[in-house]
Parts: sequence; C-alpha cells; structure tokens
Amino acid sequence: MAAISPQPTFDGDIFSAPMVHTDSNLLSCIEPDYKPFIPGNSLRRMTRVLKIGLTAALKCIQDSGITTPGPIVTGTGKGSLQDTEKFIKEIAAYKETALNPTPFIQSTYNSVNGLIALQQKCTAYNNTFVHRGFSFENALLDSMMLLQEGATHTLTGAFEEITREHFYIKSRIGFWKEQLTDNRALYQHLSPGSIAGEGATFFTLTAAPTPDSYAAITGFKMLYKPAAGKLSATLKDFTTPPDLIITGRNGDSTYEHYYAELDQCFPGTPQLPFKHLCGEYDTAGAFGLWLAAQLLKAQQIPQQWFPGLTEHLPATFNSILFYNHFYGEQHVMLKLERV
Amino acid sequence: MITAIGDNVAGNLHQLRLQHSGLGYSSYIDTIYKDVLPVAEVKHASESLFALAGIPVKEGYTRTTLLGLAAMREALQHAGITDVQSAPTGFINASTVGGMCDTEKLYFDIINPEKTGSFLQYIDTLDCADCTQRIADIVGFSEHIATISTACSSSANALMFGARMIKQGLLPRVVCGGTEALTRFTLNGFNSLKNVDKQFCRPFDQQRTGLNLGEGAAYLVLEGESFARANNSRILAELSGYCNTNEAFHPTSPSPDGDGAYEAMKMALAMSGHSLEEVSYINVHGTATLNNDVSEGKALERLFGEKVPLFSSTKPFTGHTLAAAGAIEAIYSILAIQNGLIFPNLNFSERMEELNISPVTTLMEGYPVNHVISNSFGFGGNNASLVISKYEG
Repeated sequence: MAAISPQPTFDGDIFSAPMVHTDSNLLSCIEPDYKPFIPGNSLRRMTRVLKIGLTAALKCIQDSGITTPGPIVTGTGKGSLQDTEKFIKEIAAYKETALNPTPFIQSTYNSVNGLIALQQKCTAYNNTFVHRGFSFENALLDSMMLLQEGATHTLTGAFEEITREHFYIKSRIGFWKEQLTDNRALYQHLSPGSIAGEGATFFTLTAAPTPDSYAAITGFKMLYKPAAGKLSATLKDFTTPPDLIITGRNGDSTYEHYYAELDQCFPGTPQLPFKHLCGEYDTAGAFGLWLAAQLLKAQQIPQQWFPGLTEHLPATFNSILFYNHFYGEQHVMLKLERV
Repeated sequence: MITAIGDNVAGNLHQLRLQHSGLGYSSYIDTIYKDVLPVAEVKHASESLFALAGIPVKEGYTRTTLLGLAAMREALQHAGITDVQSAPTGFINASTVGGMCDTEKLYFDIINPEKTGSFLQYIDTLDCADCTQRIADIVGFSEHIATISTACSSSANALMFGARMIKQGLLPRVVCGGTEALTRFTLNGFNSLKNVDKQFCRPFDQQRTGLNLGEGAAYLVLEGESFARANNSRILAELSGYCNTNEAFHPTSPSPDGDGAYEAMKMALAMSGHSLEEVSYINVHGTATLNNDVSEGKALERLFGEKVPLFSSTKPFTGHTLAAAGAIEAIYSILAIQNGLIFPNLNFSERMEELNISPVTTLMEGYPVNHVISNSFGFGGNNASLVISKYEG
C-alpha cells in the first residue's frame, strides 16, 4: 500500500507522525520528493495529480514487493482538475489557436493509468472508473473480479486533487462549511458541508494472502441512493458486530443521519472517523481503507491522530467494518479482517 | 442509439444502407472552427432532445445526459423492459468529458462570484458521473451503477465490465454503453494535437490527415444466457469474446507495429473460441489519424497474414464519438450479423503505402456475417476488442 495524503503518510512511521491541521477548510496533500520515482524531464510536464497518482502507485509496488506487472485499475472522481481548468482558460485566452495539447492530454481521466502502464511496461488489463463516491469502489470491484478470473495480483488505487478554483465552485453548492473549521475539531462542528481534501492511495491486491499482507477484504457492498430503511437493513445483513468501525463521518449535518443509522445498527461498537485526516473528496474511501488495513496489521492506533477517541478501543481487533458515503448518494461498506 | 445519422437503430441502419454520411458542420458548438472542421453532429438542438429523452425541458440536463437518455429509452423499449426493477439490473456507462458541452459555456460565470442565477444548476454536471446518475434516476436503475473513462475505448470497456459482472453471477442483466456530446474543449484538444481533418475523414486512405469528431450515445442490454432464456428475451447476438490490454508505448500514440491492437484482437478471439478463418468482418477503430490506421492495419496483417477478413471503419458515417464509439460500433456489428451487411468505408480511394490491405468500399448485401471483431483504441494506450457472434442457441 501507499498513500499520499494531507498527513505524513508517505514515508516514515505513521504511529509517531504528527497530525497536520489547518482551519482553511481545505486539506492539501503533503507532496513527497518525486525524484526517486519520476525522471526530471517527465516531472516538469506533469501536473500535481499525475505526480501524486504515479508516485503513490510506484511506491505501492515497492511496498508490496510484487514487481511483476499486473492489471492496473483506478478510480478518480475529477481527474486532473488543474489541466482541465488550464485548457478551458487557454481556449478562451488564445481564442482557440496555437494551443498546447499537454493540458488536454493530461485532463483525460485515464492519463494516470496510462503513465503507470508506460512506466511499468505493463500491457495487462487497464481500466479507470470515474463515478464520484463509487470511483475507487468500482475499481476495487473490478480488481476483485480480475482475481476471481485468475489474475495473481492487481494494482488498484485512487487519486484526487482539489484546486482553489474547484473549491470555490463546490462552495457555491454547499459542499463546504461556511465557517472556517479546524480539522481537529471537525466532528464538534455539525453544520451543513464538510472540509475539502485530496490524496492518492494505492493497494496491491492478491488472490491469496502473503506474509506481507496488511489485511483481507472479506465483505464489500455498494448502495446507490438507498431508500429509507435500506441502509440499516443492509448493514445488519452485512456483518455481525465487528471489533472496530471506521466511518467516513465528516461533520456535515445534511447527511449525518446515515452515520446515525450506522450507530444504531452497532451500538457499543467502538468507532474511529478518518475525514479529519484527509478531508472530503470523491475517493476519500481509498484513504479510509488504507487506514483500516494499517491498523489491522499493526494492531495499534496512531494515538496522536485520534486525541480523546482511543480510550475505549479493544486491545486487539480482528475485524473492521468500514462505512463511508459521498454526500448521501454513494454508500460503501467493506469488511476487513486480520490475516 | 442516437448518432448523426439517426435518432434510433432503424434510422442508423437506413442511412448505413443508403451510404449517407452524418458529417457536416456544427450548428451548436460555439467555436471558430464551426465552418472549418467537419463534425458528425446529432441533428437536434438540445431543446428538441428533451422530447426524444422523454422528459420536460429542465435546467441541469446536459446534452450528454439527453443523448444518453434518448438512446437508453430505445434500448429498454427494444428489449421489452418496461420496468428495470423487474430483475436486478446494473448500469455501466461511459463518458470522456461528462457535461463539458454545457459547462464550458458557463464556466466563466461559475467561477465568477459576481455572477449568479439558474446556471448554478449545471455546476455539478461537469463530472462523468452526472450523466450516469441522471439517466439512472429517471429510468430507475438502483442496483449497480458505474462510469468508465478510458478515452476512445470507454464504452467497449463498459460492455466488458458488464459482461464480467454477469459471468461472475453478480447480476443477471446489465445495460452498458456510453454517451458523448461534441464540445469546444474536445475539438480544440484534438485539433491542438493536429489530429483533425479539414475534409471528411478518410480512414485507411493514403491521403488521410486525421479524424472528425462526432457525438451520440448507444446502450446494449446484456443478459446471462440462462436468464435470457428463462426471461424469453429476444437474443440479438452473443458477446463471445473481449480483451482489454494496454500498449504501454506512448501517452497518445499507438506503436507503429500495432502491438496493442494485435494483442487485443488475438486475445478476444481466443476467448470467443473461434478461429481466424471464422471472422467474417472487422469493424475497425479506423479513426483516419496517421498513426492509428498504420498501427491497426499492421496489427491486422500480423494477426491474419494473407487472409485479412473484410474490414471497414464506420467513422465517416458517425465521426469519432469517443466514449460512445465502442457501443455504437457494437450495435453496427450486430446489424451486420442480423442483416448480412458489410458497411462501406466511405471516402477511401488510395491504399496506404505501408499496407497490403484496403477496406471494403461499397455496401455488401446478402453476405453471411457470423463473427465480427469490433475495435476501440484510445489515449493512454487503452486498447479494447470485442467479438460479437451470431447467436446459435
């Protein structure tokens, strides 16, 4: 696994890494040193989401120790916003003449996948899903099908960026809190909207566990715009009470009722939220899954990231229920178990 | 389906038989290239597309969504599905730029704090999921939805993903395809790559200089065989093979020898269990760009040797409809099988110097077509081939 996120998740020990905080309502990624991963001449042309996407993918391959190229499947809600914005503006500024094609090429949603394949000389299956809170999740489903069909492993991930301009655009339709809110206090400020985030997260998935596996995915369900009662019924049907629940709670009062349903389904089961670490974005679920897998393997919690939330946690935990939704539309539940 | 040559499948077949191209000049894109670069535009203003889409005129519905809805209505009706909830039904859509066709006209208002108004209804239509969800919500899909974006191979991959979900027993029925509306953004994108022909495109011709963009939408209802039989579905054809492969050669160009195209066709055909000799027709990707046609042509020669089957590109009819192309051409492949037709590759006059093969140039009727390969190759090295076969059940 590998994650580039607003927290120091790329290198070093996450159990001692400090928590990054801001009250700007926008959590930006900590960008790593790209040079060990991407040649300088390529780096100069690439925009941010291409860099974080490709680098997280390459780091994930390193981390897994599985270097044979396999299928590459990703999800992104928005692709390269920087390139899309740039090309729209250049069309206007240069009145449709003498345009540089690079932003157009990089704005295509599958450009990160193409780069990973190119860098890895990987001619296997390659697919990109672009469906808001189901982008990463469809990539995960596709990967699980590939493993069923006989692939030994897949490289599966997600990448997203937030730009100042897109932050403003989404603020016009209530995506973010009106008051500036410190991410450390996200859950204490229940009001309409959340705080924005971004990140690139990759996983190597294998059909059978290896000594290096972080966790096993043992259950997976997506629900689109569930009718009243459907979420609770599905959650109860999905799993017996797990040892720990990781939730996508994000301080947004408009859709908090879904998380309240989760609370009622599993009263007394300890919970940890993760959006104060990464912010809200289409593919934040991938970061949540990364966190859950880290905890299962290490059997410890980065205490400093969850001040005041870790008192009632069990000493060991073998199963985690992950539940997340994106603005009430795309709901995802995953069951993870220790291997 | 809906394309520049027809509002439905019958309309498309009619124009294919008449060999009438849909290429012309845009009435609806706001561009300086309106009268310079040909496009294959659907002959309806967005207002009149609402009627085809079966919904009242309303803010927030992009041309991408309306084209998709029009095609979706026909696909469901043709399959005799009055209620998509009658069996668990997934919806796998494909899009390359979402609702850019409408948002590009409003973008500078959207980012201007001093501007406000009903255009804000379009804010969330830029991404690719918007059209999928609006179509899903109107038609009633709730079981599984997804949107794929792998450039020009997007809807071929949507068909593949749906077929695999059925094979794995996740769903008995999935509606798959894609929708694409012409945009100033995409036209300028391809033009900046010097990939657009000022004349009507000439696939596989020595003098070709590029593609013409098109718009449209197409959906196919895929069902598992046992479900289709139990359900008494009218089976039009069988999706007998498919392959998705990446060329890992260049961000926008295919390899000169067509490694990716070769691999995709070879593996898809192997999966179908049919031999090279059994392939009756290949609906090639055939965009008429310098690189694609060399690469795809070389791949055909490498795979089939001296016996390359009849092949043609239907892009001179529909333009290159990007995310919709794979699904549109899958329907054309089925029409070829059902009607014993080989569609002509319009605008061809001179064989390419790199190749020993040339496409079919006149309409062939009464030709038995049993197995068709349909190719879709895209940016990012994303290659996809489908094998569509006559159903012999």
